[in-house]
Amino acid sequence: MIHVISAVNRHLYEDVLEQHFRVRHEIFVEERKWEALRKPDGREIDTYDNEDAIYLLALDNRRVLGGSRLYPTTKPTMLSEVFPHLAAVRGCPSDPLVWEWSRFFVSRERRDGAFNLQLMAAAQEFCLDQGIERLCLVMETWWLPRFHDIGFVVTPLGLPALIENSWTMAASIEVRQESLDVVRDRIGMKNVVRHDGPRLDAVARANLCGLAAQRRSA
Amino acid sequence: MSAVDYGREALDFIEGLGAYTKVPDAMDALATAFGRYGFEHIIVTGLPNPDQRFSQMVLAKKWPAEWFSLYTQKGYDRVDPVIRKCRQTVNPFEWSEAPYDPELEPGAVEVMRRAADFRMSRGFVVPIHGLTGYEAGVSLGGVHLDLNARSKPALHLIGMYGFDHIRRLLDPVPHPSMRLTPREREVLAWASQGKSAWEIGEILHITQRTAEEHLATAARKLGAVNRTHAVAIAIRHRIITP
Repeated sequence: MIHVISAVNRHLYEDVLEQHFRVRHEIFVEERKWEALRKPDGREIDTYDNEDAIYLLALDNRRVLGGSRLYPTTKPTMLSEVFPHLAAVRGCPSDPLVWEWSRFFVSRERRDGAFNLQLMAAAQEFCLDQGIERLCLVMETWWLPRFHDIGFVVTPLGLPALIENSWTMAASIEVRQESLDVVRDRIGMKNVVRHDGPRLDAVARANLCGLAAQRRSA
Repeated sequence: MSAVDYGREALDFIEGLGAYTKVPDAMDALATAFGRYGFEHIIVTGLPNPDQRFSQMVLAKKWPAEWFSLYTQKGYDRVDPVIRKCRQTVNPFEWSEAPYDPELEPGAVEVMRRAADFRMSRGFVVPIHGLTGYEAGVSLGGVHLDLNARSKPALHLIGMYGFDHIRRLLDPVPHPSMRLTPREREVLAWASQGKSAWEIGEILHITQRTAEEHLATAARKLGAVNRTHAVAIAIRHRIITP
């Protein structure tokens, strides 16, 4: 199962989150050579790993096999702060119903296509459940045909650009029951997301972030 | 044009692609879009395995007929350095960036030279690599091209979206409401074998009434007027195999 971990239930997962920062360091820094993310303590943590981040982590007996991160666009995001030029045409979304999807990773042992699909299904399933309408993300452009393959509706926010020698683009993905159905059909599973602990209201939290930002600028 | 102008034009085009519901219309639109960059010829194609013929892999094309027959007759796809590079990279590239050894590969020399005879002296390719490992590409050719650091990202995106749109027009996914539950598919599969609702009930250990309900729901989802019609639609859309 893919666990939803957020501020409301992270006390149940402290060990898992720790482990996940180390796995991210292994994958993004050691393997994919994103040197900007290197940390002396071997934990890949950035500004967006804060109380408003939501993690979707695939666990096998509390061992992290893969995952991704969601972050409200009512706060400054990686797209708006680090890669705004990728959204030069349509602009960076800022909306409680639009969340940034980042740090998608799969551990080396699970790099079969089906596991990827489970993580994609998890994002759609979680967002549908929470009433989130769109995800925005920065991705390598060669992923686009893969999303197309599973019926995700992907809209570019700007043109691709070379980043660390890879063509990279910003896009938004629509959250749709139909898209979830196609992936579920492909992986032959119904529900992939599991949520333990107190109930989370992601959109309400995003609204709160928006209000806080307004107060700061007022 | 500035980079943002290239971007706006490309994104507007991509968002408007859905309006073309027939392959020839979509290809005309793509020809106009790519034409603005000086391209005269387009091919949207899968890349053939050793046991596949090139002509079977083509999804859509605007190529001179004479060039296409020459290309297929001579089996140029086996020696074309552009196809070889298209398999090896996820990054778009100019034809001139596809390497070959002129000494050892006379076929590669020939295909590049003959292409130029058909007003394809230069070109640009957008490789497509799908989830299940399928390989495809959109290849554009012409003579006087607007091919630079600003136009290439626009061509990259238009190529990828163009490919996806053509592919979906050729192989429409059944409407979501056509999605049947495993039980409905099972019941329909038995109905296609000529089994009655009572027999299906016996086979699946459910009541005749439940079997009838599954059949009725499946028929409704498929927009069928009766059971036979539902079976026909399900087979046509490969929801069940005959």
